Amino acid sequence: MAFTDHCDLFGSVHEDGINIVVAHLMRQRPSLFNYATVAFHNQPHLFCVPIRPAQTVIDAGNPLFTEQDPLPVFGAPFPIGINFCVQITKAQVDFHPGNAVQLPPQLHPLPQQRFALRAQACAGIGCPPAGVIADILPEVERTLIEQQKLAVGKLKEPRPRPPDRPRDPVVLHSRELICVCLEVYAVGHFEWGPVPGSEQLWLKPKLDGLEIVDLKPDNLEAALECYIATVLRLGILPQVMVPIEKMVFDITKQAKKWGLTLGKQVTLQPSAVPADVPNNPAVEEDQLKVFVKLVVTP
Amino acid sequence: MAHLTVAASERAFKTMFDLLVASIGWEKSDSASFGPFTAGYHIKGHLEGGSVDLRADNTIQVKELDIKWDILQVSLGLNIPEICVGGGCINMPWPIPDICLPQVCVFDDNPDVEISLDLAQFVAQEVSFTGSLVARYYDASLPPPLIDPCDMLRDVLSNAGLIEPLPSHNQWHLFIDPETVDIDLFDFPDIVGDLIENALTNAIVAIIPGGWVRDLILAIIGGVADLIRFILDIPDEIDEWLSDLFNVSFGLFDFLVTLVLDIFGHCVPIHRIDDPFTILEEEVSTSVRLDGAPVTLVPVRVPILNLSVLVNDVEMIVQADAGA
Repeated sequence: MAFTDHCDLFGSVHEDGINIVVAHLMRQRPSLFNYATVAFHNQPHLFCVPIRPAQTVIDAGNPLFTEQDPLPVFGAPFPIGINFCVQITKAQVDFHPGNAVQLPPQLHPLPQQRFALRAQACAGIGCPPAGVIADILPEVERTLIEQQKLAVGKLKEPRPRPPDRPRDPVVLHSRELICVCLEVYAVGHFEWGPVPGSEQLWLKPKLDGLEIVDLKPDNLEAALECYIATVLRLGILPQVMVPIEKMVFDITKQAKKWGLTLGKQVTLQPSAVPADVPNNPAVEEDQLKVFVKLVVTP
Repeated sequence: MAHLTVAASERAFKTMFDLLVASIGWEKSDSASFGPFTAGYHIKGHLEGGSVDLRADNTIQVKELDIKWDILQVSLGLNIPEICVGGGCINMPWPIPDICLPQVCVFDDNPDVEISLDLAQFVAQEVSFTGSLVARYYDASLPPPLIDPCDMLRDVLSNAGLIEPLPSHNQWHLFIDPETVDIDLFDFPDIVGDLIENALTNAIVAIIPGGWVRDLILAIIGGVADLIRFILDIPDEIDEWLSDLFNVSFGLFDFLVTLVLDIFGHCVPIHRIDDPFTILEEEVSTSVRLDGAPVTLVPVRVPILNLSVLVNDVEMIVQADAGA
């Protein structure tokens, strides 16, 4: 059976290819997958999982992570922060039939025409040792008195003038991180759809379900799942939608490159379901497949 | 199983071929002076007909693509120095008016003699071509061969700005490997067919101003002209069939053209793909650092392995793997 029995143009990507590309992305753009406070520049050994960048990243002196503000210590009379990091350490896709990702019971088995995602995310917090807290506590107490923010109310004893300008945050350092790693599993599908402002159809990944494994209490798991699902639906998946012309060949652009003005309009349209093909896009045989028709209009 | 597969059906090829044939046209004119002589040309042409066929032997065949000329005009001119006689006046005594002779000049045009010949009606070419697409890997780290027959051709073309010079990094190169080429410099079947069809059409249009009778007769004339084209084309069809059968171009001209295209096909890639292939361009980011300082992030590149182009009788398939 030919690839183009029921279409003009056919394109497919295998899950192994996508996973290799993701691995390259993680090594060559580590700042997309690692987020941490500035202190990690000097203490990269504190990361929950060591970052292994490509040599090109090291040679170019590219940052290994995206800098974040420290976690604020709420209630402190002046800005105090705690170091932390969040890392996406593994990402893997598995097109139906499920064989590369072992889904948890809540999502198993992977339905037909669906893909599975597995990601491991690790987060670590630099818990300040008791000595560091003891060192800064007198400063906190003195400032509270200066600012008259004590729970017992205002004091009448003479107090020094409070500082005029805001202080830089004091970051509490620690020698090690307390890390926790979570396995996140998701199931989704692909569909063709319009995008406002664009005339062509786009191939869009859509999330069907998400599960974090073994997190208690249940409501914490539900809350985190809700948050991650929202991040995926609104933050990440819309960024990886692909216009149909980019799927195979941008005909109009190529013709212009050759200096040709085509007398007719050439557009690409997905093959019809079920008239032409049973599924389009199809997620099957460990691949994502798209079937496209070439339409020439006067 | 390949990581990436792209396939285009024969129908897609035919659609795009028809579209390109309908879109491709050219026009150029120029003239030059050589002392009293001038020479000029005006050409305008387009492509017509032809067909494309994907074949089970990994080749693509373009058959009987007509090169038609709308204008194929050559002009030669000669500018003869102007010669004037008369024009003088004889002064007469008053009151007799002066007598002036009329001036007569010859060769006062530029050019004075011009011959313009439009050969468009009598010239047409037909091209048939069979070839395959071949993917080869260019490894920039390997030393160049001691004797590289392509080297000089590449240098000439890259110096003329027609192709990019060989890069300092690895690439996949796609080449056209021609098997047979058949070029009819004078496509007699089409020339004769067109002449007959035009002459008869003009005659009928002059006799019958309009109506279904005229349309019917014109349709019959078109059919007769096509029959004449077909009959006159039989020897060429046999020639093309034999060429195809033995995978060799018959005729000295076709043989030489095939040879030249073979050299080009071997030396000059029609498409290049960088290896590793850039999937994310170099980017200046201001969101990586807290202070917003710009950071130039290196491009993300993925090695390409096992690039192949295969043709069978229903589709062309391009496959490749991503390297770890």
